[in-house]
Amino acid sequence: MENTLNDALSLATDPPVVQQRPMLAMSGIAKWFGANQVLKGVSLTVAKGEAVVVIGPSGSGKTTLLRCINLLEDYEDGIVAVDGEPIGYFVDARGKRQRMGERDLAAAREHVGIVFQSYNLFPHMTVLQNIVAAPIRVRGIPRAKAEARARDLLAMVGLTDKEQAYPVRLSGGQQQRVAIARALAMDPKIMLFDEVTSALDPELVGEVLAAMQQLARDGMTMIVVTHEMSFARDVADRVVFMDGGLIVEEGKPEQMFTAPRTDRVRQFLKRYNDRYRL
Amino acid sequence: MKTFAPLLHSYWYLFRGAGMTLLMASAAVVPATLLGVLLALVQVFGRRAARSAVLAYLFIMRGIPLLVLLTFVYYLLPLTGIDLPPFWGVVLVLAFYYAAFMSEAFRAGILSLPQAQWDAAKSLGMPRYLMLRIVIFPQALRLAAPPFISLCVNLVKATSLVSIVGLWELTMASREVVERTLAPFQIFLGAAFLYFCICYALALYGKYLERRALVGH
Repeated sequence: MENTLNDALSLATDPPVVQQRPMLAMSGIAKWFGANQVLKGVSLTVAKGEAVVVIGPSGSGKTTLLRCINLLEDYEDGIVAVDGEPIGYFVDARGKRQRMGERDLAAAREHVGIVFQSYNLFPHMTVLQNIVAAPIRVRGIPRAKAEARARDLLAMVGLTDKEQAYPVRLSGGQQQRVAIARALAMDPKIMLFDEVTSALDPELVGEVLAAMQQLARDGMTMIVVTHEMSFARDVADRVVFMDGGLIVEEGKPEQMFTAPRTDRVRQFLKRYNDRYRL
Repeated sequence: MKTFAPLLHSYWYLFRGAGMTLLMASAAVVPATLLGVLLALVQVFGRRAARSAVLAYLFIMRGIPLLVLLTFVYYLLPLTGIDLPPFWGVVLVLAFYYAAFMSEAFRAGILSLPQAQWDAAKSLGMPRYLMLRIVIFPQALRLAAPPFISLCVNLVKATSLVSIVGLWELTMASREVVERTLAPFQIFLGAAFLYFCICYALALYGKYLERRALVGH
């Protein structure tokens, strides 16, 4: 099965950026919303420690692609593997694509941290409870150890004094940083960020981006869907541009932002620059 | 006071009736709630056949007046050979009847949670039972609390119907006393007052629960 999976992946994906096994391998992801195909066979490989930023116009499928990784969004074709292990769907011995059982799926999801646009903290739990709930109940980490780790993470995102607060008492930026800490508390192999600053007041965006930048510097493998072009330029190892359910262009940020290869990217960046030039 | 004083020991009789009403309601509310939660879970997560069966059950329960159901079961039960003391027969009817309404309150609570809460729980690798227990239920029950409490109040008042099938409780006790004393106004005022006290206490408890559950909101 291992062989079948790897064969399938290597057939469908571009040559990997590095020789070692990729941390994330998506191949041929296809998804329809009714008659509308929103992902048209997308393949993406992310190396360990790589920070990939996905940009593109609204409705291009960026968020959907991200949510397909841990099957928050179902898809009709393609497979995903995280660190070589299938998640969501796998290819069985007869080469047939199968959906994982709920239990296996839950176990696989532990390794994928995701931060949402709308924070999605649990409103009935304190900040600390939000962070330790899954490590304690899902991974079986002793409470004392989980809380110590949670405090470290809160210190990292600059919220040491907020552990007893309920989410509703926090600003959007603070909630989003708690959400980042909550995802990190599971020690994921890869972190996904789904337009995490889009719902924030402009002056709160910086604190969240700073936490993410720190994470990238520490070598976390991450995929960031964002409209923050400056973040893409400064932090990304690779920028992926999506449009119409396809990856149109990908490359180093300096190349992408200064000399895009396709007209579509040039046009997108020009429109973006026109809007945000002061 | 002259009109009430001679009736003092009759009021004591009403108190005992109220005790019976409370006992009956308490005995019914527990299975009603458990069954209500179960029906709600089947409605939200069950397979299609199970969902249809629950839906049919809800329509039947909601479409029949409780009084008709009570009378029906009262006459039907002996024919089926099931030998159940009338008290427990009535408690079961109340439980099955109110479970249908309670399940709708719980279902609404579960469904009104944003999809985002499910997403967050799933993404943390929580298996379904854990997700339900620590993320969904605490929030869903808070949302379901007001309609649930009002259904409990309804259940208490509905016990007054069981006097029709010959069970003794507050309403039956009142009628007996009225036959003896010929003072319907004073006696039923007393009965109404007792019903009101029970229901008002329930409502206050509901408010307290709501306030306590509002932590973090």
